[in-house]
Amino acid sequence: MKSGKTMRSVKTASVVALVGALALAGCSSDDGDAGSGSGESSGSVDATIEFQTGLAVDDTEAQALKELAAQYEADHEGVTIDLVPAGEDYEANMKVRLAADDAPDIWNTHGWSVLRYGEFLLPLQDQPWADDVIPSLETTMVTADGEIFAMPTNIDISGIIYNADVLKDAGVDPAGIDSWDDFAAAADKVNSDTVSPVYIGGKPLSAAVADRVVSGTFNDNQLTEMTDGTFVSSAYQEMLDIIHSWGEAGYINPDYSSASRDDMAKALAQGQAAFEFGPSLLFDNALSFNPDVNLGFIPMPSNTGGPKYLVGGERTAFGVSKSSENTEVATDFVNFLAENVTDLAAASSSPPGLTTGTMDLGPIQPSFDEWVTEANTPVVPYFDRVYLPNGSWDAMQVTTDSVITEQASTADATEQMKTTFDNLYGQTK
Amino acid sequence: MATTRLKTTQRTRGYRAKTHRGSGLINLLYIPALILFAIFMVYPLVSGIGLAFTDWNGYSAARSFVGFDNFSRLFTDPVFGQSLVNTFIYGVGSMILQQIFGLGLALALDRKFRGRTTARAIVYLPVLVSPVIMGTMYYLLLQYNDGAFNEIVVALGGDRVAWFADSGNAVAIIVAINSLQFMGISMIIYLAGLQSIPEMYYEAASLDGASTWHKFRYVTVPLLQPAFATSIVLNLIGGLKLFDIIKILTNGGPGYSTNSVSTLISITYFDNQNAGYASAMGVALFVIILAVTLVMNKMLGRKQLEA
Repeated sequence: MKSGKTMRSVKTASVVALVGALALAGCSSDDGDAGSGSGESSGSVDATIEFQTGLAVDDTEAQALKELAAQYEADHEGVTIDLVPAGEDYEANMKVRLAADDAPDIWNTHGWSVLRYGEFLLPLQDQPWADDVIPSLETTMVTADGEIFAMPTNIDISGIIYNADVLKDAGVDPAGIDSWDDFAAAADKVNSDTVSPVYIGGKPLSAAVADRVVSGTFNDNQLTEMTDGTFVSSAYQEMLDIIHSWGEAGYINPDYSSASRDDMAKALAQGQAAFEFGPSLLFDNALSFNPDVNLGFIPMPSNTGGPKYLVGGERTAFGVSKSSENTEVATDFVNFLAENVTDLAAASSSPPGLTTGTMDLGPIQPSFDEWVTEANTPVVPYFDRVYLPNGSWDAMQVTTDSVITEQASTADATEQMKTTFDNLYGQTK
Repeated sequence: MATTRLKTTQRTRGYRAKTHRGSGLINLLYIPALILFAIFMVYPLVSGIGLAFTDWNGYSAARSFVGFDNFSRLFTDPVFGQSLVNTFIYGVGSMILQQIFGLGLALALDRKFRGRTTARAIVYLPVLVSPVIMGTMYYLLLQYNDGAFNEIVVALGGDRVAWFADSGNAVAIIVAINSLQFMGISMIIYLAGLQSIPEMYYEAASLDGASTWHKFRYVTVPLLQPAFATSIVLNLIGGLKLFDIIKILTNGGPGYSTNSVSTLISITYFDNQNAGYASAMGVALFVIILAVTLVMNKMLGRKQLEA
């Protein structure tokens, strides 16, 4: 009888442990002390540098990196640069590795060199390229103390991306779009059974729209309030109202809920989309589907009476782990990449992140010349990177998606965003 | 007589000593499995519970103790509430569909006919496929443009349907695909149960003039109680933990409307960078699954005794 009870207790304990472990398996951290790098201490010629590129294996920028790494290895006997391409879950993997004290020697900071990765990276402001960082990147890449944690190979500048042929066929002059009313009028003209005025690649890309439109619904005082930790609901809801009005008017692609980034690029390349909002990477993707497509971009209208603006910021930037056993070699390799910034920027069809680089934007060059070089359009930083606490991106994505799919009113979605903002802001204090 | 008893006692003691030595060896053989279980199950469980009392962001060295804040937030968070409701819909909905189709298929494929083994293999095959692949296959089939379902709708003269645009549709599709994938498990469990029922009960029922329905109702169903218990609990737990298919098909959208607690934990941990709160959700899910499992085991165990 006693042993039966014991057995039942053991069984119950096993069930409890098993069920609990299954439920919580993804929620734990590893406090291991694994180091990084596998070579000898800094200064040694024998070093293997693990480099998480944050780029897909077939990315043109990754190909350029591969060539430069081979060149560096040839010039530095004993040094191996282990380029690791990124998967879909690059950001999550990096967070897990940082939590486990298992950082790679070099990694792509993709816009988060200060806010997310700063505490793990070696300050690089004393490196020869540090004074050449493009001024518009300084807001997000240089700390108040003058520290810089990554070398930007390029800069992401875009506004409203358009297919020039689609607009021309509908008789729309993109340069004449000065307000969101103008934008709606243009969308009306191009709207047809075969063309979606606004094409969004589903929930994951919905935040890219919000993040660009929202800079034009906040005035300077409201931005200061956000910086001080007060969420300005009215301005955020104004952004959601604009996007919601596109959905109501039937401007957004009907396959929104199942569309992907590739679908966005394909629609732009094949003339099934007139306007899109996203990183300049979209140009590369669209050109890979149709090298002859005529693309361009225009600045975003402002709703606060301010000037039209472009949105830009850190895109690809490489930082060195301060826990690396090969910091000197890793830093030297990053410096070598800085010397070749023109090649890296050209491979990504983006302007270089350093003033020492020269530009070759291919088919996008005319838009860049018109709006950046000649019109000197102000370039504002990504809203979420400056005015929202780290970790807000998902909430921005979900709230925008809720409004587009009519799952929530713009007021409810704004309230949801405010809750996230307050929680995350409290967490970062 | 006394000598015989002594010899018997010595033999018994010798047997017990051997058995004891044998069980000692067997207990030693448990150790590797126990070590692995402790490292990969118990440690994450205990560590996860500890994290639930912090405000850790999931990667930084800094974290503070916040007491029960994360747990109290669970009661006021509408997103967690909706995900909890969805979790029960996925769990109970999938479990019901899997029992209906699993039992139906088991009854059909228990009969002798040509191609029976092939038919069983076809029904079971999706179980062997990763849920990620299953989800991706259906994602492609249900796509708005170029999806096979919409091509059929258009060929029949209808308009394309955005299958995942409505949260109700999306939840129903997730339940259906999950059930379709795992009904093979129920079928196998019921087939094993059916084959363990002695033929003489059916013969006796036939002699008493029982119809096919009566044989099913009064012979098959009562004697399948152990199979019901196993299948229901397994499928219910599987449904309550549903993750991969949701991640692939809707990623929790539209909005948060199709999230299960599992997918919400992932989003809260990695995307919202709130590992402490995500861990509190994990603890809540653990308690819920444990409670459901214990209740179901008790209910179904009693049924078995009655049967």
